[in-house]
Order: sequence, then C-alpha cells, then structure tokens
Amino acid sequence: MVPANFFSWLWDKLNVFATVFLGIFVEAVPYLLLGTLASGLVEVFTDRDQITRWVSKRPVASSITGAMMGMIFPVCECGVVPLTRRLFKKGLPLSAGISFLLAAPVLNPIVLFSTASAFGWADMLFWRFFLSLIIAVTVGLVFSVEKDSNNVLKTVFDSHEHEHSYQDKSMTEKIRQAFLITVDEFFDMGRYLVLGTTLAAGLQTFVSQSTLLAIGSGPILSVLIMLLLAVLLSICSTVDSFVALGFVGTFSFGSILSFLVFGPMVDIKSVMMYTQVFKRRAVFYIVAIPFMMSLLAGLLFNYLGK
Amino acid sequence: MKQTISFDKLAISILLILLALVLVIIVWGESAGVRVVADVPEERGASPYQRIKITFSESVSTEMAFDLITMNPVHEAYLEWTNERTVYFVPVKPFELNKNYTLTVSAGVINASGGEIKNPRSWNFFVREPLVAYMFTDANQSGVWAIDLNGGEPKRLTSEEIKVLSFDAAQNGDFVVFTTLNENGGVDLWKVNRDGSDESLLLDCGLDRCTVPSISPDAKYIAYSREVAGPTPDIPYGSPRVWLLNLENSLNSPVYADPQVLGYNPSWSPDSQKLISFDGLADLINLFDLSTNQQFVFPSNTGGPVVWSPDSTKLMFTNIRQTEEGFRTQVRLADLTLNDTITLIGQNDEQDYGYYSLAWSSLEERAVMGFRLSEEQPAQVLWMFNPARLDGILIANEPEYTYNSPQWDAWGSTLVFQQFRLKGVHAPEIGYWQDGFDAPKFLTNGILPQWLP
Repeated sequence: MVPANFFSWLWDKLNVFATVFLGIFVEAVPYLLLGTLASGLVEVFTDRDQITRWVSKRPVASSITGAMMGMIFPVCECGVVPLTRRLFKKGLPLSAGISFLLAAPVLNPIVLFSTASAFGWADMLFWRFFLSLIIAVTVGLVFSVEKDSNNVLKTVFDSHEHEHSYQDKSMTEKIRQAFLITVDEFFDMGRYLVLGTTLAAGLQTFVSQSTLLAIGSGPILSVLIMLLLAVLLSICSTVDSFVALGFVGTFSFGSILSFLVFGPMVDIKSVMMYTQVFKRRAVFYIVAIPFMMSLLAGLLFNYLGK
Repeated sequence: MKQTISFDKLAISILLILLALVLVIIVWGESAGVRVVADVPEERGASPYQRIKITFSESVSTEMAFDLITMNPVHEAYLEWTNERTVYFVPVKPFELNKNYTLTVSAGVINASGGEIKNPRSWNFFVREPLVAYMFTDANQSGVWAIDLNGGEPKRLTSEEIKVLSFDAAQNGDFVVFTTLNENGGVDLWKVNRDGSDESLLLDCGLDRCTVPSISPDAKYIAYSREVAGPTPDIPYGSPRVWLLNLENSLNSPVYADPQVLGYNPSWSPDSQKLISFDGLADLINLFDLSTNQQFVFPSNTGGPVVWSPDSTKLMFTNIRQTEEGFRTQVRLADLTLNDTITLIGQNDEQDYGYYSLAWSSLEERAVMGFRLSEEQPAQVLWMFNPARLDGILIANEPEYTYNSPQWDAWGSTLVFQQFRLKGVHAPEIGYWQDGFDAPKFLTNGILPQWLP
C-alpha cells in the first residue's frame, strides 16, 4: 500500500522539479544558442591557417592565450563547449582549447562586470579571475603533453566532420551556412543540456539545499559543500555572483570563492556536454584537477582566516 | 602510445600532488585551530568611535566569543554580530585621545563543536587626532577642506573641478558625503575619504535634487532630502521628501510611504535608530524609528536644529510661539521614555532671545546654544549649559562677532563653530573653544564646520 500522502508529496516534488528544470534551462538556452552561433560563424569565417597563425604552438603561451580568449568570445559554460569543439576542429591546439574551455566562462567582460557589481572591485573579483586563470592554464599545460588530440577528443569528431572551404561562397551563402551549422549544433549539444539540466533539477529536488547549507560549517566542509552546490545548482557564470552574494555571512570567503571558481568550469550540464567532445578520462581530468585546485584554494583562504 | 601514458601519468601525478597538498593544509590548518582577524587601524590610528570588525575562520558561539574578547584598558562597549563569523566591537563611549588600547582575543573553545582558538591574538591602536571638515570657496569653487587644531595646513578633500553644495562628515571620520550639481541640472551624492582619496559618485539622482545628506553614526545609511524633477523642465520640482540610502546594499527609497509627509534637514540619533526630519508645510518635526518602524511628530515651526542626548532618549529643538507680547522662541525638550515634551527654555521670556544653534555633546550635562543677548543686538552668543540644571557660561560672546553652527567633538571637550565679523567686509571664519579657554580662537576661514574624528 502506498501511503495517501505519497502522491501529494510526489506532486509537490514534481512541481519543484519542473520549476528548477525550467529555471536552469531557460537561463542556459540563450547562452547555448550564442555559443553555437559563434561556433557557426567561426566555422564559416575562419580557416585552419588563421587559427594556427593566431595561437602559439608553445604550451605556456598557448594556454595563456586560450585562457584569455574569453575576452574576445564572451561565452558562459553552456556556449563555450560547442565553440571550443569548433575551434578544435579548426586546428586550435589542445592546451589553448582546454584553457579556453575552463577560463572563458569567467575571464570575459560580462562576468567581470557582474562579479564587480555583486562584490565590488575588490578581493573576490581579483581572486576569482586570478585563480580561474591559474587553474585553466595548469589544466591546459597538462593537456599540452598529449601530442595526439585524438587520444583525448572523441574520434567521431574528426572523421565525421570535414574541413569545408567557404571562401568562394557569397556573403549570403556564408551566413546561411553559419545558421545551418548553428541549428545543427544547437540541437546536438542541446540534448546534453536537457540531460544535464534534468539531472541537476532532480538532484536539487531531492537533495535539499538547506540541508547542505546546514552541514556546511567548518573550514573543510564549507568548501566541499560549496563545490558540491556549484555542480548541483548549474548556474550560468554571468549570474552566479549574485547567487554567491547570498552566501556571504553564512559561508567563508574561501568557500564562496571556490564556488565562483569551480562552478563555471564544472557543473552537471557542462559535464554532460564535455562527454560529447572529450573521451572519458579527459573529462575526468577536466573535472578533477579544477576540483582539487579549487578545494586547495578554498581551504587555504579558510585557514588563513580571510 | 607512449605519449598517452605520459599524459595520464602527468595528470595523475598532478592530482596526487594536489591531494597531498590538500591533506597537508588540512593537517596544518586543523592544528592551528580557529583563526581570528581584527580590522584594527594600528598604523594610521582609530577614530574615537571606531567599530572594530573581528572575523573568525569558522562559525563561533556568541556567548563563548563574548568571554574571549577583551579591551585593555577596559572600555564600555557592546558586541554587534553580523553573522556567525563576524562581530563588531562597538564602543559606547569614545576611545580616549593619547591613550593606547589593546584588543585581545584569548585562547579557548569558541564553538559547540569544539573549535578552539589556540593562539591568542592582540592588536594595539591609538586614537588619531581629529580633523575639522568645512566648506571653503576658493576661486569661486566651493569645496570641502580639512584642518587639524594644531595649526596644520588646510587640505582640500574634494577635487577642484567639483563645486560642493552641502556635505556631512561620518562619525567614524573615515569619509565625507557631499552634494554637487550634475550635467542634467539635478544634484547627486558623492563620497570622498578623509585623506581626499577615492572621490566617487555615490548616488546618481538624474534630474532630481538630492541635498543635505546626513550619515548615520554607524555609517550604514545616508538620509537625504530629495526633490523630484517635474515631468517637463517648465514644471517646478516636487516638495522635498526624506530618502534613505543603505550603504551596505545600495537600496534607496523614501522613508515615508505617504507622499504627503515632507522632509528636510534629516538628522540621526546617536544610536543610529531614529531619524529626524522637518516638514515645513505641516510645521512638524517627524521622527522615524528604524527599529520599530514607528513614527512620532513634534510641532515645530523653525525647522531645526534638532539635537539628541547622548543616550538617544531625549531631543531638543526650537519652536516659535506667538504671545501677547509678540513672537518668542522657545527651546523644547522631548523625552521619549516618558513620552512627554516640555518647554525647557523661554517659557516666560520678556523678550525674544532668538534661540538657535543647539548642540548636545557626548556628555549628558554639556550642551551649547546660540541666542541674542537682547532684541536690539543682531549678534548671537554661544552659551554652554547643563540641560538638566539650566546653568551655564557664555563661551563665545565677542561683541563684534556672531556665532552659529556649533559642533562638539567626540569627547565633548572642544567646540567648533562658525563666526562672522559683523562690521566691515570679512570672510566667514571658523572658531573653536576648549575647556580652559577664556575666549574662542580663530581656526581658519570657511563655513559649516564639522568634526572628522
């Protein structure tokens, strides 16, 4: 026998799930659209030679360039995945692409101003940008050791899509092609956005945020909980500062900083999309290294009493 | 294949190194116990009412923390918690000048889960010399200046290209808020630090006029008077209403929801809980209690000044009453604890003394008031008196001068005021008086002096 109040409980939970799902999805979709649009434009209006010319082959320079590319392509974590995939296809070095993937959601002008609006032109802004840069460059450098990108990128990626030349086409045709690619890629990546959003909404529905916050005291647990929340909430990096602002007072500087650094790099929906671009173990490193570095930074700030 | 292995090896090595670092930091951090940091201006000196922020590295129990926080020499204060990790040490009386203080957070258990401060921490500080901020017009451009009482050079705080209309100095002495015209013809609120640094726009009022700012003593709010621009330039500005700008979250809204309640000349009680403003249309002083959202009114037709007793329970203000012999200015005293208002001075005056320029010091028994010695004389003198006993002495009564706008320093021992020489063409001056002076002394040329402690 199912208890009578089970259905009422389930109905409430479904309502919460639908609200959270729509909240995350509606917030993310425009950015995914912008990212895929950028991807389409990159495909049509740039070629391999240009990318090779712009980005250094040297690992350190390449990683730093990649990490700073967000200033030119201001995309959040949803839009950055299809764009990075396209840039890889156009010959972007692995190290630059990985650094771009991890840093662009933070190191871009929009997030710069949104973070400054929430926390002022002060410590939080500096450390968020500095740590995001350091983590992105570090992971980029680790990936630079891998000389054959096919070992970390999905094989379907290269064999399936061919290098097209759009140089001879008219501007109207180029724009049409860019939109076609945008639509294709939007639906391709959109599936993973839906899947990731479903998971995030499910977890948020059944794992109470208030429970997490209640156990999140102390220098270690507070960082771990905020890292978990960053993954769970899956908030777009353009608005996550304002959510983090609500934690000021309850959580320490270090734990909020780790939330702001790790969240834009890794959350449920972005991990789902990463699996479309990278092989499993590459996804593991892309998640694990930023996690450990964010944890380390959060702990250091907490123990130093910041 | 070889390269793939080296990539994996590198990635896993990095992860292991990070894991080791995390463990080392946890061991090191846990062995050091709960850390504590206090925001104490050890080098530059503190203000007499310095609120000292103490931050713990983890949540603490307010009761346990209370036992561990001490000040030497002992100073009357209370602890104001903003969250479980942050507390302010708030002095009730001003810290004394020329005295060194030590704030100590002792070792001990500080929360229910056994978190312990293992290393006691101490911070030393002294109280800095107070400055006097004032307005001075230099080359037709009025600005806010600051000077000390020891004969130092005056320093311009606001930049030369900004024309200041009015200003207020924070009680903590850290900054000044001032008003200036904007390009739309409105008046904006600006802020500048006590050393003239970080001059910045605080509130863009667009076409509206935001004037006479008043900073709450805890420096959390700015009350100001706002006149809303008409829908078209030929329609006059609306009546002034009192607005409140929250400096912590930038929320900005009228104090009174009722648009019929007008407000000018806002001022604060010493506890930052009560806001006074003057409604010139209704001839009322409005008092809004922020802690209870209650509103009180006191009939007055002079518009101020309103001054508070140091414990924020009594307020003095002036009112003009018509008698059979003519108009008489009176000083009224409202006691909020007794819910009673009495005429303190001027109940049976045979002539109008034009009482004005009130100031109540941080000492309950010390206030000052300006008045005319006789109806024939335009000059105002300053009389220091005890509001409870109504006895006092004249402290500024040079016959060729008139005095107004008195302001007590944090300790109630020095008074600055504005003085005008009555005969001839002279620039307005700022004078001061201290315990032991026979007569006031000249400080500098300028108007509207305020302490910048």
